[in-house]
Amino acid sequence: MATIATSQPSAPAPSAGETSKPLIALRGVAKTYASQRHGALRALDPVDLDLADGDFVCVVGPSGCGKSTMLRLLAGLDVPTEGRIWLGDKIINGPSADVGVVFQAANLLPWMNVRDNIALPLRVGGRQSVPEARIDTLLEMTGLSEFAGRYPYELSGGMQQRAGICRALARDPRILLMDEPFGALDALTRERMNSELQRLWLEARKTVLLITHSISEAIFLADKVVVMSPRPGRILECLDVPIPRPRSYDTLVTHPVYAGLAREIRARLTQAEARA
Amino acid sequence: MSSIAAPVNSASQRSRSVPTAVITLGGLVALIALWQFAVTGLHLPPYILPAPLAVLRALWSGIAVAPSSPLGWYLPLWSTLRNATFGFVIGSGFGLAAGSGMAESAVIERLLMPYAFALQCLPKVAIAPLIVIWFGFGDGSKVAVAALLAFFPVMINSFTGLRAIEPERLDLMKALSATRLETYRLVKLPNAAPFIFAGLDMAVVYALLGTIVAEFLGAQQGMGVVITQAEAVTDVAGVFAALIILGALGMALHALVRLAEKRVVHWSDRGQNQGGRA
Repeated sequence: MATIATSQPSAPAPSAGETSKPLIALRGVAKTYASQRHGALRALDPVDLDLADGDFVCVVGPSGCGKSTMLRLLAGLDVPTEGRIWLGDKIINGPSADVGVVFQAANLLPWMNVRDNIALPLRVGGRQSVPEARIDTLLEMTGLSEFAGRYPYELSGGMQQRAGICRALARDPRILLMDEPFGALDALTRERMNSELQRLWLEARKTVLLITHSISEAIFLADKVVVMSPRPGRILECLDVPIPRPRSYDTLVTHPVYAGLAREIRARLTQAEARA
Repeated sequence: MSSIAAPVNSASQRSRSVPTAVITLGGLVALIALWQFAVTGLHLPPYILPAPLAVLRALWSGIAVAPSSPLGWYLPLWSTLRNATFGFVIGSGFGLAAGSGMAESAVIERLLMPYAFALQCLPKVAIAPLIVIWFGFGDGSKVAVAALLAFFPVMINSFTGLRAIEPERLDLMKALSATRLETYRLVKLPNAAPFIFAGLDMAVVYALLGTIVAEFLGAQQGMGVVITQAEAVTDVAGVFAALIILGALGMALHALVRLAEKRVVHWSDRGQNQGGRA
């Protein structure tokens, strides 16, 4: 904590005077993991990033580029070694009810049925009663109503991740962090999940930061695609995706800007990898 | 693929399961035949090896009596079962508590682990005479030895199971600002349940062993007393019959634990696609 307090005189709070004040602002955020065997491991070089309220941002980058580190810092699971993360006018230094996390491969608890998994955020952290209506709404929204009593092992990967998204939304957070949520799914299921996520996002207008390996997934979902370099992670480029919504995979690839965007992201990634 | 795999699978299951029963039964018949042959063919005296029929008669003579009869199996069996069960519950309870404490606190782990291993390396039945001196010839010493033997497998399995938690599951609870107790109760304990049940499975058999050993050393009642009394009058058929009863009791207790495990840990093995790290 002391390092944060003394570091970064160049990391002021996002100025209140700006017209579009970001919901989340990363200022010079870096992370070094202390490792006994390998010494210090620099996972993330100083990063600056703004997320406006309601933004859908996708982060693409090679494996081990610090994407997940960045997400862990935003989720309050880790503390940055340098810099600050602002959520509104507060500094994130621990988990917050304003942030929901969707984990890789759903990460449901196998001993709880779907309903109990989704209700988990409403049962823990000093909460007393579970608002059943809230869970019903979430189940309905994601088409899981009939599966409320099933256990995760009885569900397909896509349905498991639907439940994972419901769980992340249970506390009605303003921000949704998704760590390669559909990476374990087959291509078709993944496209269907992308469409559903877009629908959910258009309805609920959360601020989303989604990490992915897939360039097409990033372009399909994002307002803004952030391209990162291999470890230690840096932001190489931020690209806007000016494709109107709702988007569809049928028309996405034929959209005039799609090919150019995909080529640019790919070029950035291969350049960075060649240099690494 | 699946349409081909399914019938092959069930066929192979059938071809395996039927012979298993036949082999088991055949083995039993062969064993009894060999036994009978050893007795009649080799002219072994009944105080070395009684005939199968004599053992069966001894077994039946203890069954075909009133439950309250001092000649029946029921009273000593009940005494042994009761003490073993108390010992199992107490030993497992302390085992789970100690294992949890060690898993949750590095200080407790460093404090207890050396002694726990020292205890495990010590042949614990050697402590039994001491326990009989401390707790007397009544039920107390039986329960205490049973608890002592049941303690270790549950402790070490709880500890291992609670530590074997996937980091993603801890991240989930951390992201939800769950308290330590909530994380333990809702995530770590169920996650460790398969390990704990493996410990309980061992513990229930050890508790029975502990009770019998304590009964050998001195008791008013119990299956251990039945065995020592039969031995004293070289009623070897009676000893065999008591061993058969104890074997059946051990298997029944083991089956009970497995049944409880299936009820509680119904999601195990099938839930393994969960929480994988990509």
